[in-house]
Amino acid sequence: MPDYEQMMKRQQVLADFGEFALRSEDLHEVLTEACRLVAEALGTDRAKVLEIQQGGRCLFVRAGVGWAPDVVGQMRLPMSEHSSETFAIEEGKPVITQDIGKEERFEVPEFMKKAGVVALVNVPIFVPGRKAYGLLQVDATEPRDFAQEDIAFLRTYATILGPVIDRLQKVSSLRATEERFRLVVENARDYAIFTTDPEDRITDWYAGAEAVFGWSAEEAIGQPSAIIFTSEDREAGADEKETETARREGSAPNVRWHLRKDSSRVFIEGMTTTLRAADGSLRGFLKIGQDVTGRRKADEALRESEERFRALACLVPVVLWRSDASGMQISSNQLWLDYTGQSLEQSQSGGWLDAIHRDDQAMTREVFRTGHAERRIVEVQLRIRGQDGSYRWFLVRQTPITDAQGRLVEWFGAAMDIEELRGSQARQEVLVKELQHRSRNLLGVVTSLANRTVGQGGPVESFTTRLKALSRAQALLSQSGSDTAEVGALVDAQLAAHADSAPKRITISGPRVQLSSEQVQNFALALHELATNALKYGALKGETGRLSVTWERLRDENGGKRLALSWIESGVDVQPEQVTRRGYGRELIERALTYALQARTEFELAADGVRCRIEMPLA
Amino acid sequence: MADRPTSLAGRRVLVVEDEYFIAMDMEYWLQEAGAEVAGPVPDTEQALALIEAGPLDAAVLDVNLMSETVYAVADRLKERGVPYLFVTGEVQIADCSDYRSRPKLEKPILDTELLRAVGKLMPS
Repeated sequence: MPDYEQMMKRQQVLADFGEFALRSEDLHEVLTEACRLVAEALGTDRAKVLEIQQGGRCLFVRAGVGWAPDVVGQMRLPMSEHSSETFAIEEGKPVITQDIGKEERFEVPEFMKKAGVVALVNVPIFVPGRKAYGLLQVDATEPRDFAQEDIAFLRTYATILGPVIDRLQKVSSLRATEERFRLVVENARDYAIFTTDPEDRITDWYAGAEAVFGWSAEEAIGQPSAIIFTSEDREAGADEKETETARREGSAPNVRWHLRKDSSRVFIEGMTTTLRAADGSLRGFLKIGQDVTGRRKADEALRESEERFRALACLVPVVLWRSDASGMQISSNQLWLDYTGQSLEQSQSGGWLDAIHRDDQAMTREVFRTGHAERRIVEVQLRIRGQDGSYRWFLVRQTPITDAQGRLVEWFGAAMDIEELRGSQARQEVLVKELQHRSRNLLGVVTSLANRTVGQGGPVESFTTRLKALSRAQALLSQSGSDTAEVGALVDAQLAAHADSAPKRITISGPRVQLSSEQVQNFALALHELATNALKYGALKGETGRLSVTWERLRDENGGKRLALSWIESGVDVQPEQVTRRGYGRELIERALTYALQARTEFELAADGVRCRIEMPLA
Repeated sequence: MADRPTSLAGRRVLVVEDEYFIAMDMEYWLQEAGAEVAGPVPDTEQALALIEAGPLDAAVLDVNLMSETVYAVADRLKERGVPYLFVTGEVQIADCSDYRSRPKLEKPILDTELLRAVGKLMPS
């Protein structure tokens, strides 16, 4: 007969447990309480919950009362075919052993026998969906005939326990998931992660977001996510377009410059994803992005640097190139290709050497080889063939470029056209040599002049006037700039220095004839001697004399060009001392011109004055 | 001129110089020292002809002649084993080790300087 009081008490136990289970979220605590209440209600002092583990291979003592600490939370029993536990789970109903000593159907675990268990009930626990969780096991230390109402109570109890366990397991699993999610999100410092509500107001703002954008969670939550958009993007409605796309497509890329709290900008590569509830309604947006400002800036700097290089390479009249560390792969500027007519392919793998003058190739190859081997700046002057086949001189320099670790990454080279420079250098060298030659020669001439005049007791004055004659001839040479002097100019210069008398008594006429610098000196000295003589004794001395200086071009028997100059004085009262005088002037005209200029000269003192003819070959 | 060396007696010396008065000076100095002068001549054509014409003991060569250089004459002298020296306005002698190994007098030259240098060309 059911005991009413006992029944009420058990109803109370169930109610108390239900209440307790609702309050607690700790599975262990709930199960322990369940064991305590059950043992108390049945007066057995002992009860435990066994949980199926390892995919149904064993039972774990999950909770219990009246059991030693090395059993609860420690013991695992194999789910053997012959155990009452396994049988109860498989049958899905309580299995009662009234007296272990008389039990023949099942084997009883050794630790239970040792603990003095005599009678026991196994009640299977199922979670929703008829999935076996384990057993509620009530142990008695005396033989006991469990009554029908005991079994009914235990079944009810196990039925309540199932959903409670299920709920707590899910909570625990969710907690673990949430914990993992939280850990991931909070530790992802390189990624800005935050969520917004359907109106795109910030609802969660994680550490990465704070690190990237600068706002703290307190500052950010509740703000529209537009705060991280730049003003120009906000004006263009970029923030709204993004959420619209995400709403329509499920997600939208977010790759753009964003604003930080301190107004500086960060470049974000990220994604906006819609968050939807199970019924499909929009719950908000998840936004994840990475700060790639550094990479972006490096990319932009590199691009700008390359653009600058290209612009520079096209602007400057210098052939520029870059080659890889081996020097085989070259990226050249257009100028090399335009100048040499090579294609980019032809210039690769040393092909550029083909455009180098054959006489410079071996030297160039060697200079570049040692430059590469020793990573040194290469500098060489060489001739490069242009499209038209002509060569021009270039100054070529190539310098190694190393990275931050000092490793050779590439070569940077430049070739400058120095054809003009070399030409002018060569001209300058010739000029300097010529100048030295001339000035030293002149000194030699001056020395011999001095020997012949002052050295032989002549007046110093005739030495200085001869020096002046030389100097005038030199002045004409340097004036013309062409290394030649014109006969008319030489005649004028020598006469102008002496003849301040009426020019109407002097006739000067002849074509333009150029004399070379070698000819000028002696020729000018000869004119000087004639003029000096005329001034002292001849046509330019008195009032009556006349002077005619004329010249013409001739051809000799071999067709060679010649100059013939006639110096003819007239109306001169010739003095006897003049006739016998044979000085420096006569020697110069009659011998020096013949010797040095292969001239034929005639010098005659006629009745009314000097008649002189100088005929000499022209260059 | 008591200090003037007179060791050139009986020596035949070729003079190639295109400046008449300098050539005359050199001729005079050499003759005063007892030498016989071949030339002087102003160009290589005449100089080479003189080399063919008779034996020489030494030669004095101006490097830059009117429109040519004297090196052709120097080469012929070398073949003949005739010692020579350069008289020049140039600072640089043409880049040939043989030319550069020869004595060089820079213009303007003095008589003693020339005679001493010519004397050194020949074994006494």
